[in-house]
Amino acid sequence: MLAARLAAGDDHALAEVFDALAHSVYGSALRVLGDTSAAQDVVQDVFVELWRHPGRYDPAAGTLRTYLAVLARHRAVDVVRSELRRVARQERSYRLTPAPLAVSAGDEALAAETAGLVRSAVQSLPASQRQVVELAYFEGLTCREVARAVGIPEGTAKSRLRLAMAKLEEMLDRQLLESS
Amino acid sequence: MTPADDRDLPVLPAGLRERVLAASLRARDAGRPEPDAPLISPVEAFSRAASAFYAVLCFLDDEGWRTPVLRGLDVQGLVGHLIGVEEDVHRALAGDPAVADAEHVESTQATALDQAARRPAQTRTDWRRAVDRTLDLVRPADARPRVAVHGLRMPVGALLVVRAFELWTHENDIRQAVGWAPSVPDPSTLRLMTDLAARLLPHAGAALPEPVDVRLVLTGPGGGTWDVTMGGPSPAAPSGESPAAPPGESPAASPGPSPAAAAVAIVTDAVGFCRLAANRATPDDLDVDVTGDPARAAAVLAAATTLALD
Repeated sequence: MLAARLAAGDDHALAEVFDALAHSVYGSALRVLGDTSAAQDVVQDVFVELWRHPGRYDPAAGTLRTYLAVLARHRAVDVVRSELRRVARQERSYRLTPAPLAVSAGDEALAAETAGLVRSAVQSLPASQRQVVELAYFEGLTCREVARAVGIPEGTAKSRLRLAMAKLEEMLDRQLLESS
Repeated sequence: MTPADDRDLPVLPAGLRERVLAASLRARDAGRPEPDAPLISPVEAFSRAASAFYAVLCFLDDEGWRTPVLRGLDVQGLVGHLIGVEEDVHRALAGDPAVADAEHVESTQATALDQAARRPAQTRTDWRRAVDRTLDLVRPADARPRVAVHGLRMPVGALLVVRAFELWTHENDIRQAVGWAPSVPDPSTLRLMTDLAARLLPHAGAALPEPVDVRLVLTGPGGGTWDVTMGGPSPAAPSGESPAAPPGESPAASPGPSPAAAAVAIVTDAVGFCRLAANRATPDDLDVDVTGDPARAAAVLAAATTLALD
């Protein structure tokens, strides 16, 4: 009956479900995330999803409590994944950007480590891609200048650069994940 | 829904309930069914109901046409009644005041009885022509202007939904009389019908001894949720008039209950409620879930049957 009422747009039914099951949903999210603010966001996402698409809950497949707990866990894991990706992007961006000033011995060590990682990643690229990356990122040439220097059309230079950057990102992500 | 291990669950942060419910209602309006049926015009709803009715007439044999069905009329007489209704609607659309308060059955009785001397095919053809004439008159017209016929005063669009309701009801009268399975309107037509019936509900509540705030939840395709107050002070529109909003134009749930009224929530199937509003089912026939005073809910459902024109 609750599922039919939700489908019929009865917001009192949604409030009833919240009062009965929000603790359980919040607990599921909190166990994965360990952060009350992020867990509250997950609770909101789960109940908005239930309200927007009540037909996705199939009473024959299990209880509403189980359905919402599974939704909460999936959503919480998504949040963790997304956060990992964000941190990895930040880290990669930091490593690819030359530090303006090395202010401490620790920074210098990190910069040296980063340079080594990037250099070794670039070395593993195919020669044609390695050439455009070195010209663009280490010698500071624009795409047009890279194309002229290598003797290829500008579009080809751009596509080689895109391919090379995608491979570099993948390699650096893998290294970051391994180190964490 | 609260097993013992829930005692170990964390306390919900303050304000989370309000925040979640508000976000949900921003994502989908209260009252609106999900999935919602595609919105169709009242003209289209009437046209579909007429097509379904005509199909039944085409399948009837001579014996079927002679089957007693309603108020002492056989099927042919009932179709004659509907020819009379179409003719009165034509006059109303032309602004003829004589049909404004004409009694629905009495004003069409002569046409109904005249059919006995005719062949069924003639009756069927005349009814189809009368319906087509109605469609020709309303298709180019604005649905908002009010029209007065058989004691009803409502926008043309609302009148067409009432007529779709009537055709579906009589189609099922015939089906039952000849032993065929009942039919259900398509979800888009049904959505217009349930919306109209729910919005007219306050006009059926005059007999209630005290005001009752009703949350009506109609489940299944064509359903929705409505908050209406029945009984007590007269609704804004005069008796017999439709509510301000034409059917199908706005989400269902209205803002809030009236402070002095008792409250009941009634959950039932959309098609069953339409049969009730057509006075073709009794409250006992429905599978109803009630929250609040059962006696008040029963009075509300009994009042809903008075919406029928017959």
